Amino acid sequence: MTADPGETPTGTAGAGPAGATATDLTLDAKVAAADVPPELAAQSLSQYFRASWLQVRRGNSGVLPVVLGIVIVAIAFQIANPKFLSAQNLVNLFEQSTIYMLLAIAEIFALLLGEIDLSVGLVMGLGSVVVAELVQPTGANWPWWAAIIATLLACAAVGAIQGSMVARLKMPSFIVTLGGLLILEGVAIIVLGGSLVGIGNSQYHNELVLYDIFWGSFSPLVGWILMIVVVALAGTTLWLRDARKRRHGLEAPPRSLTAMKIALMAVSGVVVVAICNVNRAHFGTIEGVPYILLIVLVVLVLCTILLQRTRFGRYVYAIGGNPEAARRAGVSLPSIRTWCFVLAAFISGIAGVLFASWQVSLTTNIIKASNSYVLLAVAAAVIGGTSLFGGRGKTIHGVLGGLVIGGIYNGLYLLGVSSQWIDVVVAGVLLAAALVDVLSRRGAQGQA
Amino acid sequence: MTADQGETPAETTGAVDLTEDAKVEAADIPPAVVAQSLSQYLRAWWLQIRSGNSGVLPVVLAIVIVAVVFEIITPEHAFLRPSNLVFIFGLSTVYMILAIAETAVLLLAEVDLSVGAVALIGGVITFKLVQNPGADWPWWAAILAALAICGAIGAVQGALTAVVRIPSFVVTLAGFLLFSGILIILIGGADASVNLNTNDPNQNIIYELVQGLISPVASWIILAVAVVAYGVAVWLRMASRRRQGLVAPPPALTAIKIALVAIVGVAVVVICNYNRGSALKSVQGVPWVIPIVLVVLGVWTLVLGRTRFGRYMYAIGGNPEAARRAGVSVPGIRIWSFAACSATAALGGILLGSFFFGEYSTNTADPGQLVLYSIAAAVIGGVSLFGGRGKAIHGILGGLLIGGIAYGVSLLSLGSLSTPLEYILPGAVLLIAVLIDVLSRRGTGSARV
Repeated sequence: MTADPGETPTGTAGAGPAGATATDLTLDAKVAAADVPPELAAQSLSQYFRASWLQVRRGNSGVLPVVLGIVIVAIAFQIANPKFLSAQNLVNLFEQSTIYMLLAIAEIFALLLGEIDLSVGLVMGLGSVVVAELVQPTGANWPWWAAIIATLLACAAVGAIQGSMVARLKMPSFIVTLGGLLILEGVAIIVLGGSLVGIGNSQYHNELVLYDIFWGSFSPLVGWILMIVVVALAGTTLWLRDARKRRHGLEAPPRSLTAMKIALMAVSGVVVVAICNVNRAHFGTIEGVPYILLIVLVVLVLCTILLQRTRFGRYVYAIGGNPEAARRAGVSLPSIRTWCFVLAAFISGIAGVLFASWQVSLTTNIIKASNSYVLLAVAAAVIGGTSLFGGRGKTIHGVLGGLVIGGIYNGLYLLGVSSQWIDVVVAGVLLAAALVDVLSRRGAQGQA
Repeated sequence: MTADQGETPAETTGAVDLTEDAKVEAADIPPAVVAQSLSQYLRAWWLQIRSGNSGVLPVVLAIVIVAVVFEIITPEHAFLRPSNLVFIFGLSTVYMILAIAETAVLLLAEVDLSVGAVALIGGVITFKLVQNPGADWPWWAAILAALAICGAIGAVQGALTAVVRIPSFVVTLAGFLLFSGILIILIGGADASVNLNTNDPNQNIIYELVQGLISPVASWIILAVAVVAYGVAVWLRMASRRRQGLVAPPPALTAIKIALVAIVGVAVVVICNYNRGSALKSVQGVPWVIPIVLVVLGVWTLVLGRTRFGRYMYAIGGNPEAARRAGVSVPGIRIWSFAACSATAALGGILLGSFFFGEYSTNTADPGQLVLYSIAAAVIGGVSLFGGRGKAIHGILGGLLIGGIAYGVSLLSLGSLSTPLEYILPGAVLLIAVLIDVLSRRGTGSARV
């Protein structure tokens, strides 16, 4: 944990002896304030903002660059095409981004270790073929839920094999997943069997459910109720946690900040549901919050809890920061590494189910194309703010980075730009994000 | 230079230490340097293999196994027919050249994911420049221009890696996206293609790079000249080293090497001179592409083994900090390596277009698959991913293995299973090759945490 104190100690300091940070604060206020998260050091709202700003100045910019990126993308495309920020297109844009978001979250589990998983795209491709084949009424004809569970388990097994090769045989993850993706491409084509498998037949209940995962929405009323439940739950949890910390005499963020966070959640919830409830069909009605929004939210929350609040998550950051130090501290490197690859493949499997639902019918060419998503997933994670050097990154980075990539694709597509130029733009954005990552690290090291 | 002296400077490490701790040292320095007689050489060589420095042995074994297995299982035992062997070589050329290109950056413990896209860009630029009506440049100027442009692309990516310190993985990933996009723009859209007109003598030369054949008589003459030149050069070097009191391989070994090259050369020419056409229209002779690949191999072998630039590359790959302290301009060497990688890749792209009968379209090759295959070819051939270990010949052998597998699978009439196997087999071979690399490194005690 020498080079990047940024995100690492959040978990440890928050759950463990947080008093240590407060004592250090008096010694060398400026350095300590930049090293610990502003939530812990600040006692009032103004202190919090000052500490946050200091952190940004020190190179720990967190999600700030990517949020700025999203704003710039939104403004630029809105100027170029007034349809960009319309309710219809925003929902459309989000739907297109979900695959990038999930794959980026998957990739983050490998990146946090300082490893890379090049196979997430094809694990998704394999997952989509498996789930589609399993519900075929003329074939396996499994119920949809059994098909999804089997798919996720199959993908997790792929991750377990690759993870074991990386963690136990000590093969470089780059090559294991490179060889893995070649093999998976072949396996997916074998599973596909013929030339085409589809889930678009609405006569069969199981196919219909799969189709609805991506294309279905909650009714407007249910959307509102869900939003209220989610915001109330999250708000209560947040408030109670801060109150408990305060009661135990631990460092806790100022009350006004907690209230502001809850208010922000409520406002964004209202905005999202309001946008989604606009009728976005050219004919008839398509309205309501898409199911996939809830799916992405659940994956995001679960992964965030896993990484920020559990021992497993702390170990992941520890290995990413300094594997030798983590090993000497008693962390079992092979099992944590293997589990990260299992999780990456599992989340790619979720993306695979969405992918099958999105594409409706799968062909050999679509399977081959699923490989190209891995590059965009890495790009999304890095653009979101995850470091390629391990130990720095959060799941929210994947979601935000995925939104940027989805926004660029959607915006350029609306402008009638052909796909090859879109690749060129994404390449530029990826380079810029990596540059920010490198420069911010250099800034942090130069001053520390 | 802690972990892998295997290929590193033959000149610097002398035979002086041999007496001190013979077994360890013998395993660490090339047998050619320490051995004074043939039996000593063979013993040192065996010791090296035992200690994990197996060199080209695994890939040669793999090529033999693949050849035997496919010969047995293909219908009518067609795999080793001369016509198929020549075709396999043509198919493998692009993998060979791209694997050599990739080796240039792998030696520095970097990676270039854009090598496939850059290669295709080089090919399209050449094809575009010789179009008539169009730019109508002479063929050599078009090739040079493509090499220069791609070299410049490589230099820019190298500078971003070496000077700005963005990881090469990300720089070249962005480069892959960027140049895959530009490639389609250069071709003129997803459905367009750039074709060579074989009636135009200037364009025909580019077409003939892979498709053209040297007449049988000329093949023999060229072979004789090449073997004699090689033999004289090797023998003279050995003799001059001996005269100056330097360590030199035993004469018997040099003689065996020359004989081996001659035998392989004769075998290749005999195979190529076999009439692969029909009784009416004979197709025979060595394809132009074989001497072209040999020239690339020779140039890269000389650069890596005999020049200061090459030694610095191995030094950086072994230990960049040590190289920096020894006065090596690490960023400069890195930039030049990336430039050389991309320029070599461009040549591969030109040969690829010629292999596809002078037509360049988006169907010619998928840049993503090209880069995967070329990294796989280099690693299968014996180039280490951890830097500092690898030779140009490894790329050639790895490329041949990949091409052989790809073509062998297509020969089997497996129906719907043949496409997946074209992915699964290279993937499996790659994993096995890296497993061997990792396990052999563990033997030498330089594994990671």
